[in-house]
Amino acid sequence: MKMKMKMKLKNVFMLYFLVSICGLMYALTQLGQPCDCTLHSRQSSDLVHSRDRTISRLQGELKRLQARGNPEGPPKPALPTIYTVTPTYTRLVQKAELTRLSQTLLHVPSLHWVVVEDSPVKTSLVSELLKRSGLPYTHLCTQTPKDFKLQEGDPNWLKPRGVEQRNLALQWLRENRGPSDEGVVYFADDDNTYSLRLFEEMRFTKRVSVWPVGLVGGVRFERPLVERGKVTGFYTAWKPNRPFPMDMAGFAVSLPLLLANPAARFHLSAQRGNLESSLLQALVSIEELEPRASNCTKVLVWHTRTEKPKMKQEDALILQGLGSDPSVEV
Amino acid sequence: MPRRRSVLTTLLIVLPWTILLTIWHQNPATRYLTILRKETYENSSAKSLQFLINMTKIKEEQHTACTHQQEVTPAQQTARRYVYSRPPGWSRWLPTIYVITPTYTRPVQKAELTRLANTFLHVPNLHWIVVEDSPRRTNLVDSLLERSGLNFTHLNVESPKSVRIGLAKDSSHTPRGTLQRNLGLRWLRENLILSDSLEGVVYFADDDNTYSLELFEEMRSTQKVSVWPVAFVGGLRYEAPKVNTAGKVVGWKTVFDPNRPFAIDMAGFAINVRLVLKRPWANFQLSGVKGGYQETSLLKELVTIAELEPKAANCTKVLVWHTRTEKPTLVNEGRQGFTDLKVEV
Repeated sequence: MKMKMKMKLKNVFMLYFLVSICGLMYALTQLGQPCDCTLHSRQSSDLVHSRDRTISRLQGELKRLQARGNPEGPPKPALPTIYTVTPTYTRLVQKAELTRLSQTLLHVPSLHWVVVEDSPVKTSLVSELLKRSGLPYTHLCTQTPKDFKLQEGDPNWLKPRGVEQRNLALQWLRENRGPSDEGVVYFADDDNTYSLRLFEEMRFTKRVSVWPVGLVGGVRFERPLVERGKVTGFYTAWKPNRPFPMDMAGFAVSLPLLLANPAARFHLSAQRGNLESSLLQALVSIEELEPRASNCTKVLVWHTRTEKPKMKQEDALILQGLGSDPSVEV
Repeated sequence: MPRRRSVLTTLLIVLPWTILLTIWHQNPATRYLTILRKETYENSSAKSLQFLINMTKIKEEQHTACTHQQEVTPAQQTARRYVYSRPPGWSRWLPTIYVITPTYTRPVQKAELTRLANTFLHVPNLHWIVVEDSPRRTNLVDSLLERSGLNFTHLNVESPKSVRIGLAKDSSHTPRGTLQRNLGLRWLRENLILSDSLEGVVYFADDDNTYSLELFEEMRSTQKVSVWPVAFVGGLRYEAPKVNTAGKVVGWKTVFDPNRPFAIDMAGFAINVRLVLKRPWANFQLSGVKGGYQETSLLKELVTIAELEPKAANCTKVLVWHTRTEKPTLVNEGRQGFTDLKVEV
């Protein structure tokens, strides 16, 4: 009797092992194959597609609502606003630069774009672009005084650029924002390249936060040197003895700090490379700087510059009175 | 003896099930099913949205890139979380735009690809095919593409030294990116199945140009080959096809060799993907191509000038700019130990 039971049990075990090994082999072979799971994934894919349709529809509606001209943006968001100050001036590549910058900024929540033109009047090119961008924006303009304006053929470093425009933006912020407003101010030139992570790094700035900038100062990147979470110096090859040897794209200032220092501004009289210092000296000391981007070891912004497009044929045509249609905006 | 036997037996019983469970746990498709059951639509914060989108992307990749069988671990998934609305949904009704971008290693490469990705993230149903001019796929491009959240295919093919971008002496007459674009076309032909229901458009987008979002919606409806103006090419404010009152392309508004069969820039046209699949011999010619004739070498195999579809309000609006990025002066690199290669730029 016992023997019979034992035999039966042994058989059961053998059967069990056989079945499980076969099942395992089958599952392992199935794993390497291209997905043939249309059967059980059709339901899930349908779900995904219907959700995607809803998402696209909602995004479209959102864009439409945004574009309908609510420059102040949606009701007060929970995140501190990033005020991106972009000075700009009319030249051939202006529309292209502002277009691709707006495409980047459109991904960042709670962002307010302050665009300041170097011009006596607001141009329709920029006005239309801002209206269509879908971003909350402020459009300002002020002309650089003649003595400080670059002439044709001047190297771009000869005179400080965008000074009066950035100062006008600061003035607008002081007049339109109060001590209860949270936010951070970032000076973003229209030809640089910004990664989306950068904006999240700067959002919660208490005083002034800093990070590396790529492709600037004749080196692959410049960055603050950080020890134990504090800035102790700067890794830069060009004029390292400046009070703040950084690029404009390498720092952000908290809005309350700016409002608390109403006299802080950029100075037209600043020497070459000292524009950033002319503002920061009035706001903060090196010890108070807040390092970001993994203790200033990651490059999240690049100081790219765009070539001036060659207009040889255009100039030749203009001389013949056959220039391209000026009503086609470029 | 019987004790050892019973231990052995227990082990043999438990082993297959543990193996099965670990494999089951790691398989992305099955994890998705458990999430579906757990989370309802009300709960769908960015987290589940991200899962859905990632699953869609992975499914796409499993269909197309058979060489990329990646296991998505929980750690990788959380690292892909972004802040705002991420890749636009994949709709069943929109034709896919296959964007082929040749690229090569140089200091501004990461910046160029970053801002291009920021643009593409706004375009629904976009599949980015990035082809590197290198012997191996680089980590820089690989991680950039992974982190972007876009649907992508990452390829590479090295150009022969004589053609290599940056090394060619007279670069204006050497077709740059040709091998890479052809590889992109080849990938499409090998991975898509020609059928009447296949909808899609192929566009060649260089990594330093600027594209408006409107452009992608204009090209989506391409039946054969559509064309539009491009700014800053040929020494002009813009070059454009000449369109007659009947809405047909009859010539080219360019100064540089307007008698070319297709006097248009690489960024000025898009091709219906069915046409690309129907003519597998149509490729960019690598050698013996005169300056400015690279586009012609492909288009003449695909379409005649009468069949071109003008877009952008009968070619009167500029929606793409042929911008070029300055080469950064890195004069201070290497000076007194001023090179930190650990930091990726």
